[in-house]
Amino acid sequence: TGGHTTEILRLLSCLSESYSPRHYVFADSDKMSEAKICSFEQKRAETFSNSQFTLDRIPRSREVRQSWMSSVGTTLYSLLYSLPLTYRLKPDLILCNGPGTCVPVCIAALLLGLLRIKRAVIVYVESICRVETLSLSGKILYYLSDYFIVQWPELKEKYPRSVYLGRIV
Amino acid sequence: FRFKDSLAEDVRRADLVISHAGAGSCLETLEEGKPLVVVINEKLMDNHQLELAKRLHKGGHVFCCNCSTLVETLQSMDLSTLKPFSPGQPEKFALFLDNVFGFQ
Repeated sequence: TGGHTTEILRLLSCLSESYSPRHYVFADSDKMSEAKICSFEQKRAETFSNSQFTLDRIPRSREVRQSWMSSVGTTLYSLLYSLPLTYRLKPDLILCNGPGTCVPVCIAALLLGLLRIKRAVIVYVESICRVETLSLSGKILYYLSDYFIVQWPELKEKYPRSVYLGRIV
Repeated sequence: FRFKDSLAEDVRRADLVISHAGAGSCLETLEEGKPLVVVINEKLMDNHQLELAKRLHKGGHVFCCNCSTLVETLQSMDLSTLKPFSPGQPEKFALFLDNVFGFQ
């Protein structure tokens, strides 16, 4: 959604074509991300000739401030979509930065890894908005991700398992 | 106006920006090098939205106030005390990932 998409496109801005094809997964309720992504990829195609990307939508896992109990339900529902999607895409790398949408995708990837079908590297980058506390997605994925990146030293101190590279968006 | 797709043009032409504490608004303004006054409405906001505004204020990059102290802030502020906000460096992230995967 919105700010998350802007941040993740900035993260992608310096990546080489080794990170290709790119599969963007976002919430079906998100109206604006598709335009931002296409604009980014169009610009990218000007520099890199064989640039490839796809777009996939899954049901939104959780609305802002949705209750805990119903969030588990809606996340499981999103998981029903994420499992076949992740199985089909078999990503080497999952890069996510915080919207609830990323949790079911990462869980699906972890399941595929456990079943020895495909092992993806999960890299989570917490939003630059998070200075003192982690988002809910961050709290969930802090132990489940392979690399957990924070953008402020205060968070690095609180979460020693994290990686601090400074501000990267 | 009520709603625009992008405020980038307006920000570029402005001498001063007064904004709510939304991350996008704050960062867009700071990246254009414009002085920024952030108006905080604690009753309306998520606690976490405040984190970035507070941190930017602590770093001397923005002025903060609430609705009732806005006028006083505008009258008494000294824009020359604002510290520049350096842009983020996504190239560091690219380097990190390249190391993870062993790309040169």
